[in-house]
Amino acid sequence: MDSDSDAVESIADGVDRKLDPRVIPLQRTLGWIPTAILSAISLVFVTFVWADSGILALGLLLMPLWLAGVVALAWQFQRWPAIAYRFASYRIDELGIEIRRGVYWRTITNVPRSRVQHTDVSQGPLERRYGLGTLVIYTAGMAHSRVNLEGLDHEVARRIRAHLLPKDEGDAV
Amino acid sequence: MLFSFAGTLKTFALPALVVYFTAGRSQEPAPFVGRWMPWADISNGEFWMLLLLVPGAIAAVARYLSFRVRYEGTELVIRSGILFRNERHVPYLRIQNLDTSRNVVHRLLGVTNVRVETGGGNEPEATISVLDDRVFDEMRRRVFEGRARAGGPREATADEAPVAAPDEALTLLHLPLRELLLHGFLENRGLILIGAAYGALWQFGLPTALWQRLTGGWDAPRLVNEALQEVESGHAVTIVQVAILIAGLVGILVLVRLVSMAWAVTRLYDFRLSLAGQDLRAEYGLLTRVSTRIPLPRVQTLTIRETPLQRLVGRMSVRAETAGGHGPAEGGARPFERERLAPIVETDRVPALVRQVLPGFDIGALAWQPIHPRAFRRALKPYLFVALAPVVPLVFFLSVWWLAATPITIAWAVVASRKHVEHMAWAITDTAVVFRSGWLWRHVTVAPIAKIQAVACSESPFDRRAAMRSVRVDTAGGNERSHRVDIPYLGRDTADVLHLRLAEQISRTAFRW
Repeated sequence: MDSDSDAVESIADGVDRKLDPRVIPLQRTLGWIPTAILSAISLVFVTFVWADSGILALGLLLMPLWLAGVVALAWQFQRWPAIAYRFASYRIDELGIEIRRGVYWRTITNVPRSRVQHTDVSQGPLERRYGLGTLVIYTAGMAHSRVNLEGLDHEVARRIRAHLLPKDEGDAV
Repeated sequence: MLFSFAGTLKTFALPALVVYFTAGRSQEPAPFVGRWMPWADISNGEFWMLLLLVPGAIAAVARYLSFRVRYEGTELVIRSGILFRNERHVPYLRIQNLDTSRNVVHRLLGVTNVRVETGGGNEPEATISVLDDRVFDEMRRRVFEGRARAGGPREATADEAPVAAPDEALTLLHLPLRELLLHGFLENRGLILIGAAYGALWQFGLPTALWQRLTGGWDAPRLVNEALQEVESGHAVTIVQVAILIAGLVGILVLVRLVSMAWAVTRLYDFRLSLAGQDLRAEYGLLTRVSTRIPLPRVQTLTIRETPLQRLVGRMSVRAETAGGHGPAEGGARPFERERLAPIVETDRVPALVRQVLPGFDIGALAWQPIHPRAFRRALKPYLFVALAPVVPLVFFLSVWWLAATPITIAWAVVASRKHVEHMAWAITDTAVVFRSGWLWRHVTVAPIAKIQAVACSESPFDRRAAMRSVRVDTAGGNERSHRVDIPYLGRDTADVLHLRLAEQISRTAFRW
């Protein structure tokens, strides 16, 4: 516990921190999943339309269109993580945590330490490969009953959690 | 101080599997062994169903094998998952309850289904499906020891000592019959009640029979149909027919209001709200006498509502949101019927009532701040859309003459959005943040600083173009439709200042249930 709190002091410095840059390749890898699913579904749809029309030449129009769509989709999924990364940051101080997120719809969320009910640090198989983890903060509220912070170094996530949880005096201030 | 009982849990992996198959489906009416253990009765052809259970069974076994519980100085640590690993830290102080349930199989195997509940969210923080009874006793002992060590049960905190002696109750509000009749008249629950009653009767096929008996076969739908046919065919409608139609309509309206008044009297007869020490008590009801209690510290937010009809007669209604009302409460008793503090109260008595419920907060002395002056231009757009959208299909499918309706709808949009923006305001004091909105139906919500869970400041693309932001305050209790402190159309600087101030003030207060 003691060696932990030394590290904790360094994280609660009130400085804006970026997420771990490894979150970009992680999100890109994850992006292939919806890309594959959406292109498969649209391929079935396009093929169906083609076959149903009975016009062989229609394929010359539809297939390149489908391909262009898939490429655009894949490109979007590959470039988005880097954009989202630029707009995501967090700040931790003695009072609590502040999370900034969103490219078009931007939100700054503040959760004070005294309102943290409990926390999760979770790690999926892909996250583990990149050494990342997700910190989940639970409060008693409605809209923010669950605040996620993805794309942290697993060790950093654990340190933040250690900082956020009430130590001994609980929530009596 | 580290204690792990991985070994114990592993021993129970097999019983876990059995419990999963037989009783994991609590929604099944009765755990019927033959259904989930096909070897007991293969002949019924449900053997293939076992295959469907295989992935679930593997997941269950994996969960049990990977499940670890650790007790640390101030918190309970629960680890689970093989592929998706999760480590959950629950401080002892936050644990409200350790709920257990055991069915026959659980009892036979000497295991328990444990739900660790804290205040957050809608579901238990951890569900431990199969836990050895001895291990559970150990867990309970450690959790409550941990709680005691980390500051003791909060029910006994010194600064929450009752202000007045608990036995002398101060009546805050008493509703005489006249007010209840007025309440029923204003609320107009009659339509819902009649609808519900009609639906219930219809289930049994009673209405037709009842109608026949009541009216002696007089058929109202046919009467209306005949009248409409006459109009269509160009005949003049007789005055008698018109009179009957109007009388019928008026009759229905009167009936609806009367039913609503009767409902109010039955439900809220002799409504009395009193304050005894730190406890708010409400007693009401004619047939079922309801008596409820909310400790003042459990009031999360306070919402004051004023409908147009209420405003006409100078009345308001006040309700409080309390936390922990998620799902059915223990023993089936609901904490407070919709948490109504005052179903109806004279407008000038509201500030006094609020002062009693939120000591140190004066709603009459607030410095209301308007939202951004350019908010009207932004609020107008959605209103214009609503005003014009229905005109397009009407013009397209019916007649160009519907275009004549547009000036009226546009005028409505302008007036409504202007009023909408005018009536929106917010205020902040050292103890609470308040948001007011609504033109015809007005709401004021008070969120005490100590009850705020999180603050968020957001900026949509539209906000960015207008250099605005919105600030939202999250509190426990209520539902998605409740009026909340969610202030839109704030100037960017105003929003930032408010956001920072709130974040700061919240961090400096402690949250208690």
